[in-house]
Amino acid sequence: MSEPMIEVEGLTKRFGAFTAVDHVSFSVGKGSIFGFLGPNGSGKTTVIRMLCGILEPSDGTARIGGHDIIREGEPIKEMIGYMSQQFSLYDELTVNENLLFAGRLYGLRGRNLNQRRDEMLTTTHLEPYLGRRAAHLSGGLRQRLAMACSLMHRPTVLFLDEPTAGIDPVARRELWDLLFEFAGKGMTLFVTTHYMDEAERCDHVGYIYMSKLIVCGEPDELKKMPEVTPPGTRRLDVTCDHVTTALQAVRQIRGVRSATVFGQSMHLLVDENVRRSEIEEKLRSVGITQSEIHEMGPSLEDVFVTLSANHAQDGAKKEAA
Amino acid sequence: MNNLFRGFTAILYKEFIVVFRDRTALFFMFFPPLLQIIAFGFALDLDVRHMPTALLNQDRSLYSRELIDAFVNTETFRIVKVVDSPEELAATIRRGEAYLGIEIPPNFARELRARHTAYVQVLIDGSSSTTGLQALNTAISVTFNESLKRLITESGRSGIPIEVRPQVLYNPALKSPNFFVPGVIGTALQLATVFATALSIVREREKGTLEQLLVSPISRWGLMLGKIVPYLCITMTMAALLFAILRWIFFVPIHGSVIALFVAAFLYIFTLLSLGLLISTRAQTQMEAFQLALVFLLPGIFFSGFIFPRETMPWIFYWIGACMPATYFITLMRAIVLRGASLTDFWSSLLVLAGMGVGLFALCAVRFSKKIG
Repeated sequence: MSEPMIEVEGLTKRFGAFTAVDHVSFSVGKGSIFGFLGPNGSGKTTVIRMLCGILEPSDGTARIGGHDIIREGEPIKEMIGYMSQQFSLYDELTVNENLLFAGRLYGLRGRNLNQRRDEMLTTTHLEPYLGRRAAHLSGGLRQRLAMACSLMHRPTVLFLDEPTAGIDPVARRELWDLLFEFAGKGMTLFVTTHYMDEAERCDHVGYIYMSKLIVCGEPDELKKMPEVTPPGTRRLDVTCDHVTTALQAVRQIRGVRSATVFGQSMHLLVDENVRRSEIEEKLRSVGITQSEIHEMGPSLEDVFVTLSANHAQDGAKKEAA
Repeated sequence: MNNLFRGFTAILYKEFIVVFRDRTALFFMFFPPLLQIIAFGFALDLDVRHMPTALLNQDRSLYSRELIDAFVNTETFRIVKVVDSPEELAATIRRGEAYLGIEIPPNFARELRARHTAYVQVLIDGSSSTTGLQALNTAISVTFNESLKRLITESGRSGIPIEVRPQVLYNPALKSPNFFVPGVIGTALQLATVFATALSIVREREKGTLEQLLVSPISRWGLMLGKIVPYLCITMTMAALLFAILRWIFFVPIHGSVIALFVAAFLYIFTLLSLGLLISTRAQTQMEAFQLALVFLLPGIFFSGFIFPRETMPWIFYWIGACMPATYFITLMRAIVLRGASLTDFWSSLLVLAGMGVGLFALCAVRFSKKIG
């Protein structure tokens, strides 16, 4: 990893008796894209808020660009940009005014300010909407404007909290193209998301589950983790008609540990001694004659589903003990 | 300086656009105070004039007619109904057709001529105590005057032994609007200012834009000042409008200096805006801010001496009034408008207002947390 830009050590946030973030540690290299994943309410936004200095950690610490988030909040504010979940814009202001206001907040003025605004307009293709009020923009345009606003002061670290929630696929693709462009120029990006295809694009991903960071690393590394595909098992992709019927059937086969539907196919985790012919036979017995079976590696989703199931089991065991 | 108020011009720029673009909000800022001054100025007239009066005259002599004329000439009473029996007289008042009933007995003229005491009965509707009291006082003084005139004629003196020569200063006609309208300006400005700023920060909290401001390097003082200044400009304009209405619609002469008036208004408005802002920094929702604002506004109307004189209030209300900016502003307004007082005559009220304003504003900035949750 290149030199670290964000270093988090044992970061914890408690709200009364509830621990929202529990001793989370990780680090993000300069110029890389870090994908922060986890179910709703697992503590993603709380981590971002603490890193941005607007929420006091209960324990632990973090450094951004070498500055401590607790003691050196002000210099950090100069260097970070933050795009919140709800794309916080002023509805009464036009696209132009929203951008100018965002720039002025960071002390930009005069020619400098206008120049930066023009740059942002070109990057985000918002020129045609310059005079339109933010209230009258579509979701995708709001998202682009919110991002342009958070970039006006050229932050070195950009936090994006679910930037693609509720956005159409084209806008999603365009946003990611932009993120790669920024990362290429040395900006460090911290992105939370629910989408696995987005997670696959990140240099590093962290998965937070029930307030704890249960895994962190490069997507390919994570897929090779032994916990994900335990020894003596393999993963199969089964393509066939009537997947819902098929799912019920294959779950009855001894040695099939888990089966999940993915569109027109199923992903199975099976013991090594389960043969393909056994599966084909079972499918024929429920009237499915055509099927294709391939061996496959785990997807990121498999990684997270398996690990969070393990984690929940461990938690239950500890509680029982 | 640059650091302490960092972000001030940015916030100022944004607030000005937002305030002027939100026409509905602007309308609701101007409309209630204007309605208030017009309504109070015209309706809140405690001068009792032309009260509907019923008459039962069983005497019908020159003497009784003279007495009735004396009643009518005060302009306090107006005969709306002439009845024929005491029962009918009482019924007229009960039905609300008349406030007052005058009953002159059949032997009125005879008793007077015989130099005995003649009795006149006056029935007053006491359900409205203020007007009832004024009617009673006027009725007593009318009959008392008539009695005196008769005594003088009979004794052969040229005039009454002692005569009062009253001279009412500052408001010679004792017109109610002169007293009330300057006070109404105080309560009207309260309404416009406190709500405006009380909702301003909490609105951003609800919409999520506050979070965006908090991650930026602006200072708390810059944020607070940027929030206040646009409203200060708008409300000063409104104050000028209210002064104009006072002068040219209600014809209340402004005896003192106009500059003094604006200085007082400036301090008052700044204090109220800071109060609203303080509410906004504490409240979590707009609803909560609205209710908090009401809690502060109502005592400002009741205990500021706007309607009821503070001097006669129980001590607790007197001291609640002493905490209200409106109390000092209304005192200043009446002093400047009606008595032509200069600012130096009332420096203590000014000092209290200025102190409250600066104190509240500093409290906003100091207590405002650049954190959430």
